[in-house]
Amino acid sequence: MNAFRLVISGVGGQGTLLASRLLAQSAIEAGLPVKIGETYGMAQRGGPVMGHIQIGEGVDSPQMRPAEADALLGFELGEAVRRGITYLRRGGLALVNTRKLPPVEVISGMVEYPSQDSLLSLLKKVTEEVVAFDATALAEEAGDPITTNVVILGALTASGMLPFGEETVVNVLRESLRPAYFEMNRRAFELGKEGYVKALGN
Amino acid sequence: MSSHPVVIDEPGKRVLLMGNEAIVRGAVEAGVDVATAYPGTPSSEIGATFARIAEATGLYFEWSANEKVAFEVAYGASMCNQRSMVAMKHVGLNVALDVLNPVSLRGVKAGLVFISTDDPSQHSSRTEQDNRWLAKQNCVPVLEPSSPQEAKDLTRVGFELSERLGLPVMLRTVTRLSHMRSDVSLGPIEESGREVGFDWEGFSYRVAGFEKLFRRHKERHEKLDRAQAEFEDFEYNELKLKGGERLGIIGVGFSYNYVIDALRKAGLGDDVAYLKLITPHPLPERLVSKLLTSVDRVLVVEEVDPFVELHVKALAKDIAPGLEVMGRMSGHLPREGELSPMLLDGALAGILGTSSETEDRTDLEEESSKLLFDRMLTLCAGCPHRASLYALKKAVQAVKGDLMGVVVNGDIGCYGLAHAPPLNFEDTYFCMGASIGVSQGMAKVGVDTIAWIGDGTFFHAGIPGLINAVVNNTPIKVVVADNEIIAMTGFQPTPQTGRTAMGKPTKRIMIEDIARAAGVEHVEVVDPNDLEAAEAAFRRMLEAEGVAMVIARRLCATEALRAMRPDKPVPYLVDADACTGCKICQNQFGCPALVWDDEAGRARVDSTLCTGCGACVQVCPVGAIRISEVA
Repeated sequence: MNAFRLVISGVGGQGTLLASRLLAQSAIEAGLPVKIGETYGMAQRGGPVMGHIQIGEGVDSPQMRPAEADALLGFELGEAVRRGITYLRRGGLALVNTRKLPPVEVISGMVEYPSQDSLLSLLKKVTEEVVAFDATALAEEAGDPITTNVVILGALTASGMLPFGEETVVNVLRESLRPAYFEMNRRAFELGKEGYVKALGN
Repeated sequence: MSSHPVVIDEPGKRVLLMGNEAIVRGAVEAGVDVATAYPGTPSSEIGATFARIAEATGLYFEWSANEKVAFEVAYGASMCNQRSMVAMKHVGLNVALDVLNPVSLRGVKAGLVFISTDDPSQHSSRTEQDNRWLAKQNCVPVLEPSSPQEAKDLTRVGFELSERLGLPVMLRTVTRLSHMRSDVSLGPIEESGREVGFDWEGFSYRVAGFEKLFRRHKERHEKLDRAQAEFEDFEYNELKLKGGERLGIIGVGFSYNYVIDALRKAGLGDDVAYLKLITPHPLPERLVSKLLTSVDRVLVVEEVDPFVELHVKALAKDIAPGLEVMGRMSGHLPREGELSPMLLDGALAGILGTSSETEDRTDLEEESSKLLFDRMLTLCAGCPHRASLYALKKAVQAVKGDLMGVVVNGDIGCYGLAHAPPLNFEDTYFCMGASIGVSQGMAKVGVDTIAWIGDGTFFHAGIPGLINAVVNNTPIKVVVADNEIIAMTGFQPTPQTGRTAMGKPTKRIMIEDIARAAGVEHVEVVDPNDLEAAEAAFRRMLEAEGVAMVIARRLCATEALRAMRPDKPVPYLVDADACTGCKICQNQFGCPALVWDDEAGRARVDSTLCTGCGACVQVCPVGAIRISEVA
């Protein structure tokens, strides 16, 4: 079996690192080898963050080549497109949070934030499988925008692409998160699953 | 919360560890007694993990004042038969180099392993220096793990090796290894329990005699010879050679992953000989020679410099004169910068005359970079440095009549982002503490300057420079961007915090007390978020005679949010009726929480980002920003 390869992209503070770790922990629970390569030099200062997750045998380097990822978890619209067009394989799955986090050059009026249509059209040059939805809104519905990462994990789980089942991910959520936060994250996970199905229908 | 995976005592259990955490686990398995560090990306998680687990495991950990002190503390423990570790980023070793030399010359008692986390391609550093040269210069054996599993295992091995040889051992990582995570199989944890006592025979002039201890270069070389002999049969070096291969590849440390992935992708696993080399120094020449004398061409793959490649060329001259040595010197791999799977695919294809099958996405990437912003780094929402810089610019404009009337010499830390838009108020930064030093050379020749230095950096390397300014009558102006924490690397305490790395209360050493003790007569402390007061303080500093300092003190906004959890700040809001859309709050202040509402043509506060600091209220010329109602 080929390794399952995933790229996570977003902005510092969005919880991408936790999402990577939850997936990797799930892989370990499922008895699979896993490697995460992370790029987050100065992420805390609003910079871009990217994670490469490779689950399964036959992987040594934690960095992928272009066009190798089976799926993209895009936590922020612009960053999703930036990484997706490099790493997503032809026909791979792009899960894209449509919420924008404008960078300082947009805030200070140097450039404009490109439209959602122009960005997603570019991404569609790589794959038709673009599932875009406002994951942050679902996280807010679950109780806190900080759960956006778990909303997106829920959507990925609903896609059926993961080499392990939903109960593995939920168990890892239960064991890894503080009990006080588990119920909210569980809601976020369910909303993510529903969000995926709804967005597929659009 | 379950215990940290680094301390779980279940040999054979597979846990998810970051490279840096795996190093700590290796040290715990080796029964390390004393660990020290100075934070710096990509090394910081080593110390942060030690800080978390130190109390539970009974080892001692400290964030030391700087890397040199950290190394000395570790060495002191080693001389008293306690295993010790010291961790730093690559440039930290420049600071500690003065002590590394006598440590390797005099030798160690209990194992001393130091970690150098190198940063190829400068992801978060000002240089991509390759510290293996410094190890070679100081006769220090180097272990270069290729994975988190090996980072753990080799840390443990490093302690034993260090003790057997009587030399410090350098474990060298690169950013990709320090920050990668993978499943790691745990080993047994060794009890510490070594008897504490100063090794008088080994280190005391009084007991062993000065002459015996003083000139040791020959002994050091003999130790290095023993290290080389051990590395010839080192189980982590792997030679795959069946005979008849034309091409051989040496993959050093982490670079080995690129080699093996490229061979797998090209389907060449059986046709190419390779050596996985974990010990670049001292080079196991007999082992390497086996490969060099069996192939026609050899490719050396390593981060960053051609350190092994150069040695291989020298070795080949004697034992395999016709051999073609390829690598970063020959142009088959780039001369600088980090390697990648793609670069190895390309190098292999070039050498073998095949084509690389990876789809080229550069056209799409160009399209994307035309459409999409770069996402420049910026100070966080609510960052007090933003307020300091805003007020400092107003003061410089008022006193000098021109923002270019001073050279702003910055320093190492978050506040180094002063150069970023929209504040754009920094001209240089070099290395820890240099702001205070270079400002003096400029001031002495009549160029006005501001030294812009953070609290952590001031303690690390700023103090001697400040004393130098006072004693030499060099009237520099120093602004300490004091956010009361080492924020850049993950919120480590400074000597001013009043808390040790292990969470114990301790004496607070205040920057203003040090400055006054150093003879600085004009010292003011101000809250930068009071923009008017801060501007006035900066003006007084600029107009003062002699050395003058303003300490702009306010807790890091991100740390303040962490501290108030689970509570949240009360955000501010923009009164859309009052806002005139002048954009001053964005174009001149630029807090990420102040966003532009295109439809309304007005500024808006992003309440999820706003930290409730209120500094922007003073920036708005029409008073349109106010605190939101408390629910």
